[in-house]
Amino acid sequence: MASNVSATYRATASSKSRGIDIGRVLTYVILLAGVVVVVVPFLWMVSTSLMTLGEATGRAILPRAPQWDNYVQAWEDAKFSEYFVNSVIVTAITVGGQLVFCTLAAYAFARMEFPAKNLLFTLLLSTLMLPDALRWIPNFITVTWLGRIGPIAWVNNWPALTVPFMASAISIFLLRQFFAQIPHELWDSAQIDGAGHVRYLLQVVLPISRAPLMTIVIFGFIGAWNALAWPMLVTNTPEWRPISAGLMAFLDEAGAHFHLQMAGSVITILPILILYFVTQKQFTEGIAYTGLKG
Amino acid sequence: MAIVHQRTTPTPRPSMFTGRRWRRLKEALTAYFFLLPAFLIIGVFGLFPIGFAAYVSLHRWRIVPGRYRGLANYVKAIDNLAYVVAFWLVVIFLVLAIRALLQARRTAREHEDRPWLWMVPAVVTAGGLVQFVRFCVYLLPEVLDIGQKVKGLERTRELFLRLLGEAWGAPTVQWALRLSLLILALGLGLAFVVHRFLTHSPRNATYYTSFVLIFLLVGGGLILGWLTWTEIQAAYAEALAEGEQLEIWSQVVTISAGFVLLLIAWWVWHSASHRPTMAATLLRLGAAAVLMVGAWVLIGELPRVISAGDENWWKSLQVTVYYSAGTVPFQLGISLILAILLFQNIRAKGFFRVVYFLPYITPPVAAAAIFRVLFSGRPNAPINNLIGLLGAEPLLWLDEPDGIFQMIAGSGVTLPGWAAGPSLALAVIIIYNVWTYVGYDTVIFLAGLGSIPGELYEAAQIDGAGGGAQFRHITLPLLSPTIYFLTLMAVIGTFKAFNHVWVLRSGAALGTTDTASVAIFQEFFRNTRYGYASSLAIVLLGLVLVLTVINNRIAQERVFYG
Repeated sequence: MASNVSATYRATASSKSRGIDIGRVLTYVILLAGVVVVVVPFLWMVSTSLMTLGEATGRAILPRAPQWDNYVQAWEDAKFSEYFVNSVIVTAITVGGQLVFCTLAAYAFARMEFPAKNLLFTLLLSTLMLPDALRWIPNFITVTWLGRIGPIAWVNNWPALTVPFMASAISIFLLRQFFAQIPHELWDSAQIDGAGHVRYLLQVVLPISRAPLMTIVIFGFIGAWNALAWPMLVTNTPEWRPISAGLMAFLDEAGAHFHLQMAGSVITILPILILYFVTQKQFTEGIAYTGLKG
Repeated sequence: MAIVHQRTTPTPRPSMFTGRRWRRLKEALTAYFFLLPAFLIIGVFGLFPIGFAAYVSLHRWRIVPGRYRGLANYVKAIDNLAYVVAFWLVVIFLVLAIRALLQARRTAREHEDRPWLWMVPAVVTAGGLVQFVRFCVYLLPEVLDIGQKVKGLERTRELFLRLLGEAWGAPTVQWALRLSLLILALGLGLAFVVHRFLTHSPRNATYYTSFVLIFLLVGGGLILGWLTWTEIQAAYAEALAEGEQLEIWSQVVTISAGFVLLLIAWWVWHSASHRPTMAATLLRLGAAAVLMVGAWVLIGELPRVISAGDENWWKSLQVTVYYSAGTVPFQLGISLILAILLFQNIRAKGFFRVVYFLPYITPPVAAAAIFRVLFSGRPNAPINNLIGLLGAEPLLWLDEPDGIFQMIAGSGVTLPGWAAGPSLALAVIIIYNVWTYVGYDTVIFLAGLGSIPGELYEAAQIDGAGGGAQFRHITLPLLSPTIYFLTLMAVIGTFKAFNHVWVLRSGAALGTTDTASVAIFQEFFRNTRYGYASSLAIVLLGLVLVLTVINNRIAQERVFYG
């Protein structure tokens, strides 16, 4: 692999001076091939979602006449309207909780001194290594228990879907890194003005932390929207089933109706795609940030 | 902890002293208040599950808790290897304890401290902590039982509080609690006495905590060792009663010996690099010989143990290893190429980045649904049409349980199971995984490339280094932390993978795509064997930990942190 890379590298580097840029052409060819590989499955999904059943199971590449009805049918067959509302509610509660709880914890780690700070931070980061599979069973027992003894049900209800995700180690870590970079002079001058930690956090730190907070909102949104295993465990009726688990159930029901499957997939993907294109810059920067510092 | 802070503040004026102390206390209290909600959630749903899963894994537990059955779940999963692992865990605990002890001695020598008196409060405190764990183990089933008791009754606050009170007031629970608190108080009291009157060193807190840790390691090792020992004895007694032959001990010895030989071989090989050529060659020859003997011992013994364990579980581990080994090199190689190409001065950089990143954010269920259609096994499926254009026969893709090497070799040759390679169905999942994560890796590689100072390349160019040399001597070493990070993430990611595997698995592939997580999910969700599934999850956690440690080891030697 390495020799391959260096060959292309050398070609592009040395051909800068020459008139014909073979290396440059090759670069674009490779990059565009990558684009094709990424985009074709999406195009195929859209195309298939507009086909008739015969076309979808046959050899057709494009639908003869777009069947917009497929979307209506998928929407009604799979109760997507319910899943949609569920996912929006679940996502909003989760992200809202994350914003409050993670900000508080991250601020404490970044700006305050207290006994056992390092121990707690290590404990926090150690949860990142745990496989989800380890958490399924204990957490499932815990939420059933909490539902039995508490005033509201947890399973098949919003608490089981949201509360366990309201604080995440990665979000706290990301925010802490940002808060720690804020110049100390700001804190000093705030103190002179008589502000305590709470006022400093609300009036100084939060307004300048829009970028990392936005990253957390986006990640929280994606996490809640894409979750599959845990929602499958804690919802066995459509009543509170969020969209990914709903789509999974629909895929199993729809059988060979590929056009409906693809219409359902388009419906599931669209909100995330819109979010991605609107906040695109935030996105890649946030990712690069977690990667570099992690 | 609070004891330590007392000494560090000089006391010019008493009022100043109390003011600062009060401020510090206030800040600490505010901080704990800030941390409380996050740690409540992470504690209950992130940290507590580790211990709880271990607890569940020691029981027969089908939806409702059953009786204690020791290591039986583990033995069912990986047969006698469970005893071998337990034995080695004991050894590792003791080795870690000795290392911490040596470290403490070195610090003490450097500063001419005499910390050995700290052993007394430390051993008492460690004992108190172990007692506290025992209290938790007594309390847990009582509390869990409340969930069963309120079934069918009207759930009122009073009822719950009464039941909680009953659980809390159970005599065993109360005794364990009192005993642990008493011992802990005694330990802290002794620590205070030692700190105040007997030794005066600014490192007192360090000695105290490291000695507590040492005693906890020793204690944990002894408890685990005792558990394993009694289990093995019981197994032998049972076998004797039934007139069977058992070979636990011989297997523990042979397998351990095999691994020790491998370790020695690695160590000898490693030490050869600092020797003169002649000696190094001899040492390496010796290492190779030891390696072969060790491998021979393991090859002779391990398959027998494995075949006695849970066949499904071993198969899923094999699938996971194939999956990881098939994914990681391609994923990192392709994304490195793309990142290097993108890093040059080209047009539409932003466009490429946006597009490459697309699969990563797509909901995995939906993206996998697309792949399910594309790579479906129908002769009419899109990919089959595509390879049909190239003149190839249609394949079964996601429904194909045969290994890809077996398919390449043709039906004339029959390869043994492990050499047949990942099934074609798993290969499709590998393709999906690469497709999804290349964009993520590319973005992170780009950030890594961006942090390499440009002057280095300029200097290299003046020295006459070509593109290849620049890549080898500047880009790769300076990018190594990023490469290390991404490798670790990719390996751990494949070991945790669930969502897309779940969508892409098909019954026709005969379980050749069921990774470890899928196997655990099935045991838990479909078979409702909570105890057994927990033991599998703990084994998976152990594997992830081992992989992380190995990755760290490699990183220490190969990664260049500017």
